[in-house]
Amino acid sequence: MNPDTLGALPPGGRGVIASLELPSQERAWVDALGLSPGRSVTVLRRGAFRGPLHVRVDSGAELAVDAELASHVRLAAGAP
Amino acid sequence: MSDHCEAPAEAPREGASQTPTLVLVGRPNAGKSSLYNRITGGDARVGNFPGITVDVLEAPLDHEGRALRVVDLPGLYALAANGDDAETDEGVARRFLDNLAHEKTPTVLVQVMDATCPALGLRLTRDLLARGTPLVVIATQSDVLAAQGRSLDVEALRKALGVDVRVVSARDPDAKPTVLSAALAALDGAPPPRARSFDPDALGREVLRDAPRVDDEALAARARTERIDRWALHPTLGPLLFVLLMGGLFSAVFLVADPASNLVDAAVQALINVVGRRLGDGALRSFVVDGVLGGAGTVLIFLPQIVVLTVAMELLDASGYLARGVFLVDRLFRRAGLSGRAFVPLLTGHACAVPAIAATRIIRDPRERLTAVLVVPLMTCSARIPTYALLLSAFFASRGAWFRAMVFVALYVFGIASGFVASAMLRRSRTRGRTLPLLLEMPRYHAPDARVVARAGWRAAGRFVRDVGTTILAASALLWALLNVPMPAAFDHAGDTHTMPPAVARVHHSVAAGLGRALEPVTRIAGFDWRINVGLMGSFGARELMVGTLGVITGLEDVEDDDGALATRLREIRRDDGTRAYSTATGLALMAFFVIACQCMSTVAAVQRETRSWRWAGFTLVWTYAVGFALAVLTYQTARALGL
Ligand SMILES: Nc1nc2c(ncn2[C@@H]2O[C@H](COP(=O)(O)OP(=O)(O)O)[C@@H](O)[C@H]2O)c(=O)[nH]1
Ligand SMILES: [Mg+2]
Repeated sequence: MNPDTLGALPPGGRGVIASLELPSQERAWVDALGLSPGRSVTVLRRGAFRGPLHVRVDSGAELAVDAELASHVRLAAGAP
Repeated sequence: MSDHCEAPAEAPREGASQTPTLVLVGRPNAGKSSLYNRITGGDARVGNFPGITVDVLEAPLDHEGRALRVVDLPGLYALAANGDDAETDEGVARRFLDNLAHEKTPTVLVQVMDATCPALGLRLTRDLLARGTPLVVIATQSDVLAAQGRSLDVEALRKALGVDVRVVSARDPDAKPTVLSAALAALDGAPPPRARSFDPDALGREVLRDAPRVDDEALAARARTERIDRWALHPTLGPLLFVLLMGGLFSAVFLVADPASNLVDAAVQALINVVGRRLGDGALRSFVVDGVLGGAGTVLIFLPQIVVLTVAMELLDASGYLARGVFLVDRLFRRAGLSGRAFVPLLTGHACAVPAIAATRIIRDPRERLTAVLVVPLMTCSARIPTYALLLSAFFASRGAWFRAMVFVALYVFGIASGFVASAMLRRSRTRGRTLPLLLEMPRYHAPDARVVARAGWRAAGRFVRDVGTTILAASALLWALLNVPMPAAFDHAGDTHTMPPAVARVHHSVAAGLGRALEPVTRIAGFDWRINVGLMGSFGARELMVGTLGVITGLEDVEDDDGALATRLREIRRDDGTRAYSTATGLALMAFFVIACQCMSTVAAVQRETRSWRWAGFTLVWTYAVGFALAVLTYQTARALGL
C-alpha cells in the first residue's frame, strides 16, 4: 500500500489531504462529502478484516471510509 | 404574479403546478425534514441516517392568504450531475428541480444548511446559485450552534452570497414565519446574481465565529459519542454487541407481538360475532365473516409486529446506531456483492418486504440496489411467522420448546443465508458490476425524540394496512369464492363426504380442492397433498393466509387463536388407506418452501414499482417458486431417506 495515503495511516494517525486519485465523478462525490484537499483527517479506528476506516475531518464531521477508497486519498508529505 | 401569465401552450401536468413553490434543499442531516415539519405541521420522517428521505414530500400551505406549496427533497451533496441515475436521492431531487423549471412554476429554493458546519453547505449553495432560481439560505440548528458557544456572521454571509440568509432552529416555533417571509421576499424580488465566485471552505471558516470560551457542551457531546463508539465499534465487542442487539430486536418483535396479536385477534373475533349474528346464516354471512372479516383479521394481527419493528428501527436510526451497523457489516456484505448500505433494507425486510424495498433507495449504485430489491423478499418477514409456528407445533411438538426455538432461529439464519447466496449469484450474472466504495457520515449519538418515534410507528401501521391490507382483502375474497364454489361434477374427485359436517364437505367439493387434487401428482414428490396445495394457492396472494386456509380445509372454523388444535388436526389427517398424510418430512419441506417462495403480491407489486419493470417482478415470482419447490423436494426426500 502506498505509504502516503489515508489508507496507510494507523489508528490515531493524522494527515492533510493533498489530492484524491479517483475518477472525476467519484472525486466530486468524495469531495462533496467533506474529504477535500487541504482538510486534515484523523483515523479514529479501522474496521476488522480490512473493513472501513472511521475518520474525523477537521470540519468536525466523522465518516466511515472504505479502506480501498482511503488508499486513493493521497496525503501531503511530511507530518502536519 | 400568475395573473399576467398566458395560458400555457401545454397544460401543466398537475393543476397545482403553478402554485408558488418553496423547495427545501440541503445536505442529508442538515435539518430539512425537521424544518418542513415545523412549517407544514407535517410528519416527514426525521432521520439520522444520511439519505433516509427518499421520496419527495409536499404539503399545501396558506400563508397570509396566499396559497403556497412546500416541498421536502431528499438530501443532496451537490447538484452537478455526477453519474447517478435518476433513482438515487440526488437524482430524484435533481429531476424534481428540472421539472419545476420546465413547467415554469414560480419557485424559490430554500437551502437548509447546518449552521454548525457552513463550509459543507456552501458548496451546494454555489451549485444552487448557478441555477439562477430565487434562493434563500436558512442556517438551522442554531440552538446547537449556540450551545457550542459559536455564532454565524450572517451579514458577511449575505454579502458574499448575494442572497438572504437567516439563522433558525427547527425546535423554535418562530422558525416558520422567519423562513416563509424570507422565502416570499426572495420569490417576489429580483433573481439572485448568477455568477458568484467564492471558496466554500474559506467562506465557511470566515463566517463561523468561534467561541471565545471552550465549548464544554460540544466537547461533552463529542466525548460521549467517542465513549459509546469505543464499545460499539470495538473490533471484537462491537460485532458481538451488534449480534446481541439484532437478536434482542427480533426477540422483542416476537415477545411483544404475541400478546398484542392475541388482543387484536380477540377484537376481530368480537366484531365477527356481532356482525355474524346480524347477517343470519347464508352465503352472505359466510362471505363477510370468513372472507372479508377473516381476511381483515389476518392483516391486523401483524400490525403489532410491524409497529414494534418500526419503532425499534426508528430508535436505532435516531440514536445514530444504524450508521454504526453499516460500518460493522460492510465488509461481510461485500462478500455477497452488497455494501453496508444494504443493511438497512435487509433489516427492515424482517418486518415486511414492502417498506424494505422502498428503503433500498439509500443504496447509490443502481445495480447494487436492484440486487437488494431482489433479495429483500427472502428475509424472514413477520408474515411467515404464523406458518412456521404452526408447522413447529404440528411436527416438533415432542421435541421441547428449546428445540423449536432453535429451529426458529435456524429459519431466520436460513433466510439471510439464502439472500446472501442469491445476491452473490446475481452479482456474478445479471447485476454484475463493482460495488461502490462505502463513504458514510457517522452522526453523533442522539437521544431519540419520543414523538418522532411514535409518529413513525403510526405511519408504518397506516402504510401496512393500506399496501398489504388491500391485497390481503382481495386475496381473502377470492379464496373464499374458490373454497365455496363447487367443482363441476365431472371433474370432482372428492369421493364420499357424507360423514363430514356440511361446511367441510363443501370445501372438499370446491374448485380449490379440485385444483389441489389436479396438482397432486407433481407436488407429491415434495410431500404436498391436495390440502397443502389449496393452502399454498390460498397463500399465493399473501402468505399469512396459509394458516387460515389450512384451518378451513381441515374443518376447523376458529383456528387463529389456537394453533395447538390445528396442529393436532394436521398431524392426525389420514390418507384414504388410513396412514398418516403428513410426517416431519412434510413439515420440513413446507418450511423450506416458505423460506424461499415469494408468496406475497404486495411484494411483487413493490418490486415492480421500484424497478419499473414487470419482468423483474415476474422474475421474483418465478425463481422463488421454482427454487422454493426444488428445495422442498430436496428436503422432503432427504428427510424421508433419514427416516423422519
Ligand atoms: N437541536 C436541533 N436538532 C435538529 C434541528 N434540526 C434538525 N435537527 C436534528 O438533526 C438530525 C437531522 O434532521 P433531519 O430533519 O432529518 O435532516 P434532513 O436529513 O436534512 O431531513 C435529526 O436528528 C434532527 O433531530 C434543530 O434545529 N435543532
Ligand atoms: Mg430528511
